[in-house]
Amino acid sequence: MHNITKRTIITFLLALVLIGGTCLFVVKLVKHGDEWASFQANSHLFNDGVLSSGRILDVNGDFLAQASGNYWTYNDDSEIRKACMHTVGVADGKIATGAITRFSARLTGYNLITGAKHVGKDGINIYLTIDEDICKIAYQALGSYNGAVCIYNYETGEILCNVSKPTYDPAYPPTITDGDPAYDGVYLNRGLSSSFTPGSTFKLVTLAAALNEIKDVGNRTWNCPGTMQIGDQTITCTGTHGDIDIKTALNVSCNCVFAQIAVELGWKKMEKYANQVGLTTSYDINGIHTRPSSFVFKSKDDGDLGWAGVGQGKDLVNPISMMVYMGAIANGGRAAIPQLISKTTLLGGLQNSVYIKKKTDKLIDKPTAELITDYMKSNVTNTYGQSRFPGLDIYAKTGTAEVGGNSVSNSWFVGFIKNQGHPLAFAVYAEGGGSGSGTAATIASRVLQAAVA
Amino acid sequence: MNNTFIDFLNFIWAKFYEIGVWLIGLIKNMIVSLPYALNWLKDNQLDVGQIYCHAVRWLMPVLALLILVSVIRSLIRVRNPQERWGYLIHPELGEFPITHWETLIGRSRSCDITMNFAKISRVHCALIFDGKKKWRVHNLAENESFLINGKSAPAGGEIDTGDRITFGGTTFEFEMISNEENVLREKIRKKASSYATSPVFSMVILTIFQALTVSSLIINRAEHTVIIATSFALFAIVMWVYVLGNLVIGKKGFEPEILAFFLCSLCLAVTASSNPAGIYKQLIAIILGMVAFLALSWYLRDLKRVVRIRYTVAGLTVLLLAASLLLGTITNGASNWIYIGGVSLQPSEIAKVCFIFAGSASLERLFNKKNLFAFIIMSFLCFGILALMSDLGTAAIFFVTFLVIAYLRSGDYATLALIIGGALGALLMVMKLKPYIAARFSVWGHAWDNAAGAGYQQVRTMSAAASGGLIGVGSGEGWLHNVAAANTDLVFGMICEEWGLIIALLAVLSIASLSFFIVRVVKQGRSSYYVISACAAASLLVFQTMLNVFGSVDLFPLTGVTFPFVSCGGSSMLAAWGLLAFIKAADTRQGASFAVRKVKLRSMWQAPVGPVGVEADYDPENDFVDGDEDDEYHRERYANDGCEDYFNIKGRSGKYDASTEKANIDRDRQIKNRSGYSTTSHTISIDDVTGLLNKKNSKK
Repeated sequence: MHNITKRTIITFLLALVLIGGTCLFVVKLVKHGDEWASFQANSHLFNDGVLSSGRILDVNGDFLAQASGNYWTYNDDSEIRKACMHTVGVADGKIATGAITRFSARLTGYNLITGAKHVGKDGINIYLTIDEDICKIAYQALGSYNGAVCIYNYETGEILCNVSKPTYDPAYPPTITDGDPAYDGVYLNRGLSSSFTPGSTFKLVTLAAALNEIKDVGNRTWNCPGTMQIGDQTITCTGTHGDIDIKTALNVSCNCVFAQIAVELGWKKMEKYANQVGLTTSYDINGIHTRPSSFVFKSKDDGDLGWAGVGQGKDLVNPISMMVYMGAIANGGRAAIPQLISKTTLLGGLQNSVYIKKKTDKLIDKPTAELITDYMKSNVTNTYGQSRFPGLDIYAKTGTAEVGGNSVSNSWFVGFIKNQGHPLAFAVYAEGGGSGSGTAATIASRVLQAAVA
Repeated sequence: MNNTFIDFLNFIWAKFYEIGVWLIGLIKNMIVSLPYALNWLKDNQLDVGQIYCHAVRWLMPVLALLILVSVIRSLIRVRNPQERWGYLIHPELGEFPITHWETLIGRSRSCDITMNFAKISRVHCALIFDGKKKWRVHNLAENESFLINGKSAPAGGEIDTGDRITFGGTTFEFEMISNEENVLREKIRKKASSYATSPVFSMVILTIFQALTVSSLIINRAEHTVIIATSFALFAIVMWVYVLGNLVIGKKGFEPEILAFFLCSLCLAVTASSNPAGIYKQLIAIILGMVAFLALSWYLRDLKRVVRIRYTVAGLTVLLLAASLLLGTITNGASNWIYIGGVSLQPSEIAKVCFIFAGSASLERLFNKKNLFAFIIMSFLCFGILALMSDLGTAAIFFVTFLVIAYLRSGDYATLALIIGGALGALLMVMKLKPYIAARFSVWGHAWDNAAGAGYQQVRTMSAAASGGLIGVGSGEGWLHNVAAANTDLVFGMICEEWGLIIALLAVLSIASLSFFIVRVVKQGRSSYYVISACAAASLLVFQTMLNVFGSVDLFPLTGVTFPFVSCGGSSMLAAWGLLAFIKAADTRQGASFAVRKVKLRSMWQAPVGPVGVEADYDPENDFVDGDEDDEYHRERYANDGCEDYFNIKGRSGKYDASTEKANIDRDRQIKNRSGYSTTSHTISIDDVTGLLNKKNSKK
């Protein structure tokens, strides 16, 4: 008997496996329960595949959208509807990063204890961090251009404005056929989920690398012959700048100088800094993950590295990650991580969550950040003209991304403002907007003025 | 004096006054806040039914915990003190207690009685009791002589008290324990065994649980009020009759049944929610299951008759599987169901019980090779048929049960590894031949990427399970029951959704705790047949639960097997109760289980054999003299053994090592003095024992 009873351990072990596996299931349930519950076939929360409860408001408590049975109602103003469409989302779930889709569990009041059926059965109010009026102005300012306007508070992380175009009116969704150029990538939030050739805005990364890695960089000069050969590539510049220092090179956005610097630094250091400043990070914005930027620095041909160093070539930058980098420069090296939910309340108005600020890692050193701040200010005073930004203490860099072929370049304007109560960093991108100092800067100026007003 | 009294009255009065004021304040507050509460209710449009449902939701997990915590705790920490059936006595070496019906003696540490002499083989001989009166010995060391009373013994030679057996150059006197000693030991064991605190308490709570279930079900399934209420009421009656009946005949161990009752209540609720019209059918299945359970448990009481019909049952196992292959209709690619006169049956479920019945073996397997071949042939035939049936879940369950039985019988890892290797190869081949099985494996772990296709059921189970939260949305308020096979294969999801995670986990824990219970309780198993069958049954239940639970939430490929006792369906309910009978039959806690026969030893008084050398003319009737040094010996013998667990001290065990024997005896004495056999209320005092003996002797 003794030997047989000893072998019964096998039964014991089987039971342990059962317990262990069940624990694994519980862990998964705790971690992903809200995602599982947000399944459109879950008729506790969905009605014909449409989220059946919840209300979305902006930071000031202005109405954005609300569930009413098996459809949603939206703000009365069609421009606000269009401006906020990508952030708020649409009832049929086509905007994958929209609040209706991504915060569906939260909107219904789902929680782990009472599951999908809680006492306040009409759902939860979610107050987003965006301001619908600023979004509307951004939408108007973009005009006919497709693109993105992203503005956030780099001290608290609240995203004030996140407008993406093309867009449509969620209250009257148009019929969209595949490949319709008017609705090219309409379901994507360009700020969160896209990445574009950054053009000269990327020089701010090359600059950070140079300031940290090249000895005595402030006293050195580089020669710009207008066009020059690096490796197998011809680097062209906006003009012939001659012998200039790095600050002037940034002011005039000199391709030749920054290409030389990138080659001098080498691909490893360029890669290191592109990662370090957070461009390749995928930020977690209340559970929505941004698309990380991507670069190819390593190449047999130094010319490729040169182009990559000035934001051309294969560089693709995500607007939100660029915006966070701007915030980090403004904030002495670390910025707040952007967030979209300001607070949530039960339907009676009882607040059931608080806003908790989160910070990024250290993206750059504080002295470097201060130096870059100074350089960016000189960009404005020396090149763009302060008069175009009335009432704004603005620090910025333009970008003109050449996309090849005969299409018009895409226009970037990134930077931040220093303003008591409005510490805002921004990234504005306008497709086909031509030079950055033109279209994108004008859009940014208009929206920022509204934001600080 | 008077003053003190008046002070006291004043004090009481003041206290009353305070309490009164507080109560009035409370009532006033309640009245004042009532309009607000009503307004809130009006605004929130909660009617009485909804409030009630919300309250019940919170109450149910609490009740479930009340029902199960003490039961599960008792199962997991069960104490089952050693039994004693006889002694081998040697004049110098002392006595070796025989603690099982099947006892192996030899040098090896795996023997029940270890004797560390060079002349004794690793496994030298076996002593086997038939549970009534006969003991037989088998010589397992072929080259060594084995003598009974000095004569060469035949295989399976009978021995009786006073017989001398000689092996390995040593002579022992065999002694069966006397009926008196047995009665006494039973008393001690009964007190030293552990039981759930109060089965009646658990049953009362379970009945309340069922009543609340009915009340919330009839809110959601109003049109089926009568049949739902009747079914639950009938089930409650059956349950109580069973428990009270057992209490009347003096049985105290109900833990496995209470778990089964709880799970069956869930099953009825699941049926009421998913298919209210079929609830009578399910109730009948439960009652039939209980009948089968009672019948099988009763049959298992007698090992001899069990062993006798094992070959028949083996044939039946194969026949049942063959029937489902030949007569079965094909559903989802697997032929499993047969229809007889409008009743659908799943013979493979019943075959599970038969498989264990036929596959388990007593120690006689060591002397009977035919037995092993029969097992191998039966298993081989079963797997052949299962492969043709291409029901992966059932095949996996049979295979694991086979492995457990084979391991318990042989303990041979190498062979088992070989078998598993072969099985994996076969599985790969099956996956190539049967594309729909391969499809199940390919979606495994990626259910969410195939939410509309092969992962359809799993993602819905997970979504519904998440929707339930900890306390569930309420019985009858879920939606998962609209998905195919929700009340069988996906029943875990239904429980999570409607009853909440806490109750779902309790259901899983119930099954697991049966395993833990069995592993502990069979340490004192009488025959290896009971040990093997109980472990195989518990393993089968656990593994089937694993396939069901993990399959439905995409931790395993979905194989479509049932959750024992919880899934709807007649055959699987029958099988689950049948398997429980094996567990019941192994529960040798004194007076715990009706499936364990109370052993009546020969009633005539036999004097225990003295410690002094065994003389040729020894006569137990006359040589026993009261009041001499033997008394001390009796004291030691009665009070010392059998309850080591009870005193939480590892006392003298069956293993023998000549060098430590003296130390053991010394330690025993110390233990006896320290733990004070007469002080704790649970023990029988030494005086009781002596008194009993004296009474017997004076009668004589």
